[in-house]
Amino acid sequence: MKKLNILLLIALLIAGAGCKDFLEEDTTGLLYGNDVLSTQDGLEAALTGSYKGLGQTWAFGFIHPSANAAVLGGDDVTTHPGSNKADWREFDQFNVPATNQRSNAVYNGCYKAIQGANNVINNYEATTGTQETIRIIAGEAYFIRAFSYFWLTRFWGNIPLVTAGEFSDDLLTIGTSTPQQVYEMIVSDLQMAETMLLDTKRDPGRPNAGAAKAFLADVYLTMAGWPLMQTDKYDLAAAKAKEVIDNHTTYGFELLPTFAAVFENDPAVSGTAEAIFQINGFAGVGNASNATYGNTAMPGEEGGWDDFFSELNFFYSFPEGPRKDVTFRTEFGRPGEPKIPWQESLTQHPYYQKWYIKGEVLTSSSSLPTVMMRYAHVLTVYAEAKARGTGGADQQAYDALNAIRVRGGEQPIPFGSLNALQFADEVVQERAWEFAAERTRWFDLVRLERVEEANANKNPADLQPIGAITKDDYWFPLPYTDTSINPNL
Amino acid sequence: MKQALKSIFLLLLCCQSYVFAQTGSITGKVTSPDNAALPGVNVLVAGTTTGTVTDLDGNYTINASNAASLTFSYIGYITQTVDVNSRSEINLQLVEDATSLSEVVVVGYGTQRKTDVTGSVAALSTKEFAQQPVTRFDQVLQGRVSGVQVTQAGGAPGGDSKVRIRGANSVLGNNDPLYVIDGFVGADYNNINPNDIETIQVLKDAASTSVYGSRGANGVVIITTKNGSKGIRVTYEGQASVSNLIKEFDVLPAAEFAEIVNARASAIGTTAPFSDTEIAGYRENGGTDWQDLVYRIGHGQQHQLTVAGGGDKTTFLISGNYLNQKGIMNNSNFKRYILRSNIATQLNDDLSLHLNLFGSGRINHNTDGGGAITQALAWAPTTPAYGDDGMPTFTDPVGSVYRNPLDYLYDRANDQERTTLNAIGGLKYQLPIDGLAIELQYGVNYLNGQNKILNGQRVSNNNSNASRYSFEQITLQSTNSLSYNRTFNENHNLSAVAVFETQEFTDNNFTANAGGLRFPNQLGYNNIGPNASSTVSAGFQKWTLLSLLGRVNYSFKDKYLLTAAVRRDGSSKFRGDNRYSVFPSLALGWRLSEEQFVKDLNIFSDLKLRGSWGMTGSQAIGPYTTLSAYNTTTPTVAFNNTGVVAGIYQGNPGNPNLKWETTRQVDIGVEMEFLGGRVSVEADYFHKSTNDLLLNAAIPNYAGGGTQTRNIGEIENKGFEFSFAGTPIERGALRWETSLNLSTVKNQVVSLGDLPRLGTGTGVGAGMSTTYEFMLIPGEPLGSYWGLNYLGTFKPDEADIAALQGRFPGDPHYEDVNGDDAITTDDFQIIGRAFPKASGGWNNTVTFKDFTLNVFFQGVFGVDKFNYTRAAALSGAGDARQFILTEIRDYYRPGNENSDIPAFSKTYQPYTQSSRFIENGAYVRLKNISLSYNLPSALLSDVATIRVFVSATNLWTITKYTGPDPESSSVGSGTDTAIGIDYGSYPNAKTYTAGLNITF
Repeated sequence: MKKLNILLLIALLIAGAGCKDFLEEDTTGLLYGNDVLSTQDGLEAALTGSYKGLGQTWAFGFIHPSANAAVLGGDDVTTHPGSNKADWREFDQFNVPATNQRSNAVYNGCYKAIQGANNVINNYEATTGTQETIRIIAGEAYFIRAFSYFWLTRFWGNIPLVTAGEFSDDLLTIGTSTPQQVYEMIVSDLQMAETMLLDTKRDPGRPNAGAAKAFLADVYLTMAGWPLMQTDKYDLAAAKAKEVIDNHTTYGFELLPTFAAVFENDPAVSGTAEAIFQINGFAGVGNASNATYGNTAMPGEEGGWDDFFSELNFFYSFPEGPRKDVTFRTEFGRPGEPKIPWQESLTQHPYYQKWYIKGEVLTSSSSLPTVMMRYAHVLTVYAEAKARGTGGADQQAYDALNAIRVRGGEQPIPFGSLNALQFADEVVQERAWEFAAERTRWFDLVRLERVEEANANKNPADLQPIGAITKDDYWFPLPYTDTSINPNL
Repeated sequence: MKQALKSIFLLLLCCQSYVFAQTGSITGKVTSPDNAALPGVNVLVAGTTTGTVTDLDGNYTINASNAASLTFSYIGYITQTVDVNSRSEINLQLVEDATSLSEVVVVGYGTQRKTDVTGSVAALSTKEFAQQPVTRFDQVLQGRVSGVQVTQAGGAPGGDSKVRIRGANSVLGNNDPLYVIDGFVGADYNNINPNDIETIQVLKDAASTSVYGSRGANGVVIITTKNGSKGIRVTYEGQASVSNLIKEFDVLPAAEFAEIVNARASAIGTTAPFSDTEIAGYRENGGTDWQDLVYRIGHGQQHQLTVAGGGDKTTFLISGNYLNQKGIMNNSNFKRYILRSNIATQLNDDLSLHLNLFGSGRINHNTDGGGAITQALAWAPTTPAYGDDGMPTFTDPVGSVYRNPLDYLYDRANDQERTTLNAIGGLKYQLPIDGLAIELQYGVNYLNGQNKILNGQRVSNNNSNASRYSFEQITLQSTNSLSYNRTFNENHNLSAVAVFETQEFTDNNFTANAGGLRFPNQLGYNNIGPNASSTVSAGFQKWTLLSLLGRVNYSFKDKYLLTAAVRRDGSSKFRGDNRYSVFPSLALGWRLSEEQFVKDLNIFSDLKLRGSWGMTGSQAIGPYTTLSAYNTTTPTVAFNNTGVVAGIYQGNPGNPNLKWETTRQVDIGVEMEFLGGRVSVEADYFHKSTNDLLLNAAIPNYAGGGTQTRNIGEIENKGFEFSFAGTPIERGALRWETSLNLSTVKNQVVSLGDLPRLGTGTGVGAGMSTTYEFMLIPGEPLGSYWGLNYLGTFKPDEADIAALQGRFPGDPHYEDVNGDDAITTDDFQIIGRAFPKASGGWNNTVTFKDFTLNVFFQGVFGVDKFNYTRAAALSGAGDARQFILTEIRDYYRPGNENSDIPAFSKTYQPYTQSSRFIENGAYVRLKNISLSYNLPSALLSDVATIRVFVSATNLWTITKYTGPDPESSSVGSGTDTAIGIDYGSYPNAKTYTAGLNITF
């Protein structure tokens, strides 16, 4: 019995031993701390994470229909007057509340991308590894940050300007920055990117130096219009676009010979040479699959969601030709089934064939890329900026515009047949046709202050604005999720 | 524990049996009031130390002189003394001791006589649910203990239940009570077989729970399982059940649906989808009843076998339980296996040893409700269920934008398997010092989880995928305690315990996802290798808890009672000085019924006043919350069309300054018994105040989004609890026992630190809600719904007000709180409260001869529910393009301008997050009614007892809630900030059960 007592006491002592270490946290399954970005692999992983903000299906960014909804104020797209499309109609009817969920995905996603990019930008100088690659990684981060802020300030105007990669309490109460401040940063970031990136893309879904320049040209063009009205930027826009055009083979950009080739939408191909920058989708991984094609663009008759389709007057005025044939879907019916002309369809509107998947596959997850800028866009930036800038449109501007017109099935405009402003407006109109339902028209209308005008003569069969359109409708209210937390917004 | 003590006592008695040869032998059988054999009854020759105990069949044999008397005593029964009077056979029926003065309750790290308890502890005996077909522990608890609210939130078999003791303290943390099974702290009640339960104690106030320190704030439920006694007893119980849906939503018939769709199309200027011929066809042939296709009659069966017994020194219990339930939704079921083995042995006079082992397996198949229910209310009745190819119709041209309910049922699998092995054992050694004992107890819990999910080609919209998630969680516990128990000078009773306890939790998990499955039909989720793409990840988590605690109970003359306890917990989840926290408590009791002046009143058979104060804590956060970690699983990015690259992005920011959430609780209670215990009343008032609230504060999206855990603010819960038990009728063979309990909780957010308010969402209403569904605001309770106040439709005479908002008569009219002629987020307000204000239960048992009737009502009051299922089917939101419920018949149109159902218009802007879809969720439910019959023992010639029973569950419900079930909800059971939303939640069923119980 005595022995047993001793045994018991020993057991107690053993149980009580090592208490100090017992409460130490075992963090071996956790990735945290300052060392994470100290290696090239860590930096690369953080950069990849930053891209996720641009494309996390149904949550962040651009590869699902939400980003399309926010541009419904343009005269090229509208949505269903009933169905379950209330939050789409809010954009088309200029009645966007701070709780609209569609725009939040772009807002949240861009800022998630910015957070990751900030982290890379603030740390890459201390990263060890191949310096050439580290430079490219940082260049891509600068590009992502500029790209994201460009979208944010165009949709929301005055926004929080965050450059910190790590969270601190100060961030909870920051105020907004003006578009001027935001654009300054966008320009400086793109200037960093154009020097740090190489001429070739590392992957189809990444930018190269040419992409940075193309976006910089677009940024300058936008800065020249509303709200900044810095018309001196037209020259900068033209010059930057010219750099891209003159070196397009270096950067691997080209205007595809036919419009149909641009919108073949074959998931077996990783995009085309016309893409300046694209966000890739991959159907095999749920949150990376692209949902901007297929269901969202298709009519109910075909199992689609009727999310968006063409405004009637836009369709009526659209110049005939191969481009119109590729852009629109005017007869509905699944392959092998009888076709219904759009006039007799449920919504009585033509739809956008552009956003169909090759073979009319009915799905909302594809491996297609969402193209954020096409080379054709750069050509129009040059043409318009040149026309509005010093000296007016030159031969190259006419050539740029005509290349697109001819491909679309229109007649070329003879050099010098229009004055500078007429030519610029012709370019703007051409952009409407060329980039119909490609999230371009809305921004053109805003920077040229033509939103009211473009929505003044809507077809009576289309949704009408609720209340008069004013400059207040040019930007959306910042999302309630953020304004309800930070009173300084 | 009680059983174990009993067994030890019994064994001790056996050792003392002397035999007096000169006297006659007396035999007999001792039974309970319901004629069941009572084993283990002490039979003593009065005035001597001669005694024995009854065996498993209640039989005894004792030698006593003809003139002697025999004393029969048994815990929980009134001791009786019977004169022998030269008889050789004395059979006796013992009467239950309603006063239960001698009842022993388990109070955590020890036991106490019920009379000595100073805290608020509710004891629930197996008797109270023995007559009911309970298959799960939460069904045992529901409605039976005041201050305890149980809501079966997931109506599916094996579904989730929410248990709350005295409201909810924590915003962030899980508000589930702490479950302690046979000493294992933090057990999962889903693994307990109700038939294995010996006793249940619910610890409610801080004086009782502070010994559980940092995990005691939500109350503690202590479950003790049975053990065997001398002899062998075998019990088999089998039951079979059928169940069906309580209520369906009223859906438009196909023809009428088509007409309304056409009317809407014409109002908004689109083409009418249905021709007159088609409508006539629907009128003649009907359409598709989607709800009918989703629901079915469910079946269930449960079998269990218990073998219990033992010898002089060793007792054992082995039991097995098998449950198989097919739910009321097609292709959903739940299976459970539990095997238990409890062994206890007395090695010698001083040393006893016990080991309890159990293993359980639980398999849930498609019990998550979800898609099929909401889609059944979104798919048009005009759309045929199946296409010409015999497969479910792939898309719905007019109704839902998403997948066929049938594909949700049959083209996917969501299987969750949980396998648990638990062992807890130890030894107790009586030290040579009188009253001093040492107890060492070690426990291990092993949990293996397998989540297997398959989304076939159809339900995934042509992108079949599967995922496997596997985890292994091991919890180790060691509890070493020293206890001292002595009475000095007859009047001073002192017991004390000191405990050193450690717990260590480790989780290892592994996930594999595969997309583009090559053989989804052949291989399902069992072999996901052949795929277009896959991603993997693995995780590891660990936390530890180190605790010291002590408690002293002192009573003077059984009249004045004092309990003081303190626990110090250290948790690995916190850093530096915040790592340790101390939780003291003090309780006082005064047994007035022992005072002469009360005795003189001759009213009370027992009267006790008690009061307590104490602190408990919560470390209700995951490990590593103090650190800012990267998310390594979500950010997989495609840079081309052939695959993804894994990346990292910042997860939630850590907070190094986190500390314990602390709850202070005051409790005042009174316990009264009248008429010799025939009537008892217990009432309590409590006030809980929780400080340094652990809270997940939302981080603005511009700063990366997500949440950061912080200690902010204060929450308070206060309320009354009242319970009444009595035996109104006891006449001959007829006996009616009734017990009633009612409790109220007033929950309130007192402060949120600097924050004026804090929103929380659920993600449940994705596509339905436009912002946080809940808002925490000081002065308001948890679970306050946030949205617009719906005033009905704009009426013709309100055209000018409507015009200010760009609307027309017939459009929805929401309250413009700030009067700016626009409906914005500034007009959001609290539109309902999901936190129930009161709940109660009323249990009745009527016994007549061999029949027992049990009738049990349960109710919840003062609660609102957000009926998103209805909102989706009635507002063109989420996946539903059309309005499908019969309610829409009354839509606003010329000639029907009084309607508050919005007109079909192009300016219709629905906010589902509005008071239009808030409903009163209060209900009273006939939770159980059952009738059982004990076959007369004469028939069975004493070899066995047989009981048969029939029962009905959820037979009758009074509620204003329009959904199928006011009890079910779509939000998990852990949280209380976001509760009460019903969006296609799996409803509870009406269940009819028949069963048989044989013991021999």
